[in-house]
Amino acid sequence: MRIAGYKLTLAKRETLSGLQASMISVLAVLTALLLFSLIFIQADVNPLEAYKEIFDYAFFNSYGLPLTINRFIFLLLSTCAFIIPFRAGLWNIGMTGQLYAGSLSAFAVMYAFGVKDAKSAEYPALIIIPLMILAAALGAMIIASIAGYLRGKYNVNEIVVTMMLNFITFWLVSFMIKDGGLFMNPGGRGESFELPASLYAPLYKGVPFTLIFALGFAFFLHWLFAKTKLGYQIRAYGENPTGAEYAGISTVRIPLLVFIMGGALAGLAGYHYFAAVPGVYKIARSYAFLGDLAFYGIICGLIAQANPIAAIPVALLFGGLTNGGRFVQGKMHLGFGIDYALLGVLMITLVAFQFFYRYQFALTKAEKESPDV
Amino acid sequence: MFEFFVRSLDASTIFTIAAIGELIGQRSGVLNVGVEGIMLFGATLGFIVAQATGSYLLGFLAGIAIGALLGLLHGFFSVTLGGDQVVSGMGIWIMGFGLTTYIGNPYTGPLGMDRIPSVLGLSPFFFVGLALVILTKFVLSKTSLGLKIRSVGENPSVAEVSGVKVAKTRYYSSITGGMLMGFAGAVYALNYNPVWNYNFLMGWGFIALALVFFSMWNPYILMAGSLLFGTLWQLSLNPQLVLPGLFSRYIWRTVPFGITLIVLFSMSMKWFRTRWGAAKPDALGQPYLKEE
Amino acid sequence: MPLNNIKHGDTVLEAKGITKRFPGVVANDHIDFEIKAGEVHAILGENGAGKTTLMNILFGLYQPDEGELFVGGENVSFKSPLDAIDLGIGMVHQHRKLVPAHSVIENIILGHPKAGKILDLKRAEEEIHELSRKYGFKIDLRAKVWQISEGEKQLVEILKALYRGAKILILDEPTSALTPIETEMLMESIKTMSSEDLAIVPFITHKLPIVLGISERVTVLRHGKVVSRLKTSEATMKRLAREMVGREVIFRVEKEEVERGAPVLEVENLSALNDKGLTALKGASFSIHEGEIFGIAGISGNGQSELVETIAGLRKEQEGKIIFNGQNISHTSSLERWQAGIGYIPADRIDVGSIGEFSLIENILMNYYFDEDFSNRGILDYKKARKLTNKIIDEFGVATPNPETTAKCLSGGNLQKIILGRVLSRKPKLIIADLPSQGLDVGATEFIRNKLIETRGEKACVILISEDLDEILSMSDWVVPIYEGEIMDIIPGEEAKREGVGAMMAGVKLEEARS
Repeated sequence: MRIAGYKLTLAKRETLSGLQASMISVLAVLTALLLFSLIFIQADVNPLEAYKEIFDYAFFNSYGLPLTINRFIFLLLSTCAFIIPFRAGLWNIGMTGQLYAGSLSAFAVMYAFGVKDAKSAEYPALIIIPLMILAAALGAMIIASIAGYLRGKYNVNEIVVTMMLNFITFWLVSFMIKDGGLFMNPGGRGESFELPASLYAPLYKGVPFTLIFALGFAFFLHWLFAKTKLGYQIRAYGENPTGAEYAGISTVRIPLLVFIMGGALAGLAGYHYFAAVPGVYKIARSYAFLGDLAFYGIICGLIAQANPIAAIPVALLFGGLTNGGRFVQGKMHLGFGIDYALLGVLMITLVAFQFFYRYQFALTKAEKESPDV
Repeated sequence: MFEFFVRSLDASTIFTIAAIGELIGQRSGVLNVGVEGIMLFGATLGFIVAQATGSYLLGFLAGIAIGALLGLLHGFFSVTLGGDQVVSGMGIWIMGFGLTTYIGNPYTGPLGMDRIPSVLGLSPFFFVGLALVILTKFVLSKTSLGLKIRSVGENPSVAEVSGVKVAKTRYYSSITGGMLMGFAGAVYALNYNPVWNYNFLMGWGFIALALVFFSMWNPYILMAGSLLFGTLWQLSLNPQLVLPGLFSRYIWRTVPFGITLIVLFSMSMKWFRTRWGAAKPDALGQPYLKEE
Repeated sequence: MPLNNIKHGDTVLEAKGITKRFPGVVANDHIDFEIKAGEVHAILGENGAGKTTLMNILFGLYQPDEGELFVGGENVSFKSPLDAIDLGIGMVHQHRKLVPAHSVIENIILGHPKAGKILDLKRAEEEIHELSRKYGFKIDLRAKVWQISEGEKQLVEILKALYRGAKILILDEPTSALTPIETEMLMESIKTMSSEDLAIVPFITHKLPIVLGISERVTVLRHGKVVSRLKTSEATMKRLAREMVGREVIFRVEKEEVERGAPVLEVENLSALNDKGLTALKGASFSIHEGEIFGIAGISGNGQSELVETIAGLRKEQEGKIIFNGQNISHTSSLERWQAGIGYIPADRIDVGSIGEFSLIENILMNYYFDEDFSNRGILDYKKARKLTNKIIDEFGVATPNPETTAKCLSGGNLQKIILGRVLSRKPKLIIADLPSQGLDVGATEFIRNKLIETRGEKACVILISEDLDEILSMSDWVVPIYEGEIMDIIPGEEAKREGVGAMMAGVKLEEARS
């Protein structure tokens, strides 16, 4: 293609620097937001105004900001849960199921301490909260390890397995919180019993302490991949499983391990949202929405290109966008599911931008056509 | 009981049609993990168009058309751009899930049209599905086109030097596959369960995907698998018909997914794997880019 | 079709001034070449001499930047291999272009315009049968391709081209995967075909006797240029080799006598399955002592990979024992075997031996990450790894800008040097070298062979796997032909004879081979 004396060609990339890679991600997000404007336009809303409202509410509003931060924590944990297996070349799309399993386990701890029936009592938070966290991580790990084990030992496609586990745990949650399930709220509203105030997660300026987990794990993972033997083994397996096997890296252990690690983080995300976010403190009737939100973890992971540090700003951005999206949806009378639509548009744009990892446009000054010799 | 049988057959038919679509693509080497997304699109658009026009025919056509379009998109990502087919499939699924939730939401509720009349007491789509299975088997094993599709899925560079147009064959297969998935979605929303609801497929597409692995890429086995899973699915919705009182209804809902896991697991056992490995298209999921 | 009415001796294909440039290299530099009906015209050249490019141009896969092609006197240009096929040019690739899961007939008629919309397999079978009788091929047309031998696959490819109406056959390394006996048979078939006025162009890298045995004319390529054209009757092995390499070839391995030491590896009655679940290694028993090279000669796919993978711990043994340094290691993991002092150089450098996206440092770490010297409580010592990488780069003369370069950027020879350096620097007691010089140029081959031989002086022993009988004979203390998973014999190096070993590689039993 020629434009005013310049030639636009498509060339194969030999190398991809970190800066170029992040440029691709930024461009992908911008393109997706641009495409998404069409949805605002179709709904007769000025996209600029809509985006301004979204960002204002998400980041500069005293009601919106805490919500954004809570979503950020949730998303960052989900993203890390996706990234760890992804570094090993495996797709964990089961964050949803894992976080359900984690939440159920955390509630099981409370149930064991009799929280359900005697709500007013004071409970030893210092014992129960750590136990809840541990149980959440453990429960999610167990669910996730099914996928890792089947993949490592029997080479069963992990996408199908994690998805099946999502559906199974989804119905298990219903089983536990509805129709007389063990965790059903005595009021019988199809949701779980609520946390007693004494078991609320500690807050700092309105932000639950789970923020430390999310940020800490992001940095820890970065260090793990860059410096440690385990990180090396995971990356080697991800880049070339047969090569890794040759080097003595267990092709059973690594898939199992990455799913266990990823699962644990997804479990923490479950604990965070159902037991630490102010104003929630229960497995709500609409828990499916949280499960769906976890799919943003896939998107954040892909945009961050499986870099856990890069995932921090990305998760913050999408925490804000989904939160602000819900807000403008109400304020500007848009159809339900703006955040779902954004999820879809983002994902497909990202897929299209994958292309640029391997190709680039080159703008060169066109030479004069040389006569054929 | 007959009612249960008919409903099971209906459910099986949807699995069959969607899975045959996936099977055709996979035989040509194109793995599409976005079946659920295409089905959601086919179901939602089919539903909206049928409701708006009052015509079932237009509804189905809309479902097929959007399926074709998404098959084309998947073909573009995985054939022309040579991208990771799993990434593309995931993209199509999440896009389908996200966008249909938004687009379909205003139409939440029943379709409000007369039911499609049955043929010999069964849903007409059962016969469509049966015909598709037989036709697919015939085309794949007895025709030149089928040989081309299989060769492209086994070893595209061989096919290329033999004069088969790899990209074109894969595009056709992906588009045909997408059409069938879209159609399957429309059958779901217009015939099987004509009530639009958020994410109302809840796993049909993923089970269809698993069925293709299970079938060892043989349409007949695929049909048998669909019958099994259709019945299971129906059973999970109406357990009281067979085993009244046992387990909560929610536990029953997990059964088809659990069985899928067990089937996938047992198929991966050594005994199965040596046979399964031979049937799997060698180039499945691998992009083919002509050397330059 | 310009080739419809050709007679014996007519020029059927002519290339004039063919030039093809790739970024940084001129792969073909004004190449002229012609072939007549009923003639065998060999093209000889080393790897990288431009053979593959020329072949791809003749077959329409590449378009030349300059130059013209004439088929039957008509100036033609190919947009794709299809155009070449339509004009009667058939290509038989070195890496078999067949679909293993399909039957022989399905493979032959794939993409054939006559195949029709609905396949008429019966008619096709009759026609192909007729064709194979004409040239004396014996093939079961209904068998699946994965069931037939390499030699038969080659014939299937030739049949496929002939069924398409090829008058000119391009053969890429026609004997590369064949046993000596299959080679003989192929040469026979080539003679039959050329006597039927087909024009045959074999492209050959190393096997000079083949060139001398079948061709009438030879064109030698070097660095993309034609360096000589001669009649085969005027050529000698020595001359061809000199023309091809550009210098006198004095390929000799300096091998000092080393005293036979203690046994390092003892293998007893070892059997293993291949990936398809069939027994691929049948009851192998042998022992290797310090300072010995144990050269296993066989055509790929006769159980060698199963043998070495089992010894390296990457494949489970079906039965039998592996004793290393007096310890039974049969049930240990591959990692434990690395640590115990077994070093494995895999045949597949790219998919097994290296990780393309990783830097050279991280590639070196593939055999070191588990060493306590290199990891302290799970944290890797990248500084030390870089030092080692630099040392290996120097010692083995790896051409690379820096140790951060990714492995995928290295050429085959340099990558092999990295892998070899990595394995040898561990000072293993047992080195398993699977096809160590495959696909490398003469210089790199010589280097790698000598490096392996040097290890004998350090009391190590080597299992060498090769298809190249010369490599085996020149390096090994023990020559071990293998056929269909069976070790045919274990012959002391100085007593091994080409013919006998060659026959056993093709399945001739010991008693027959000796008689």
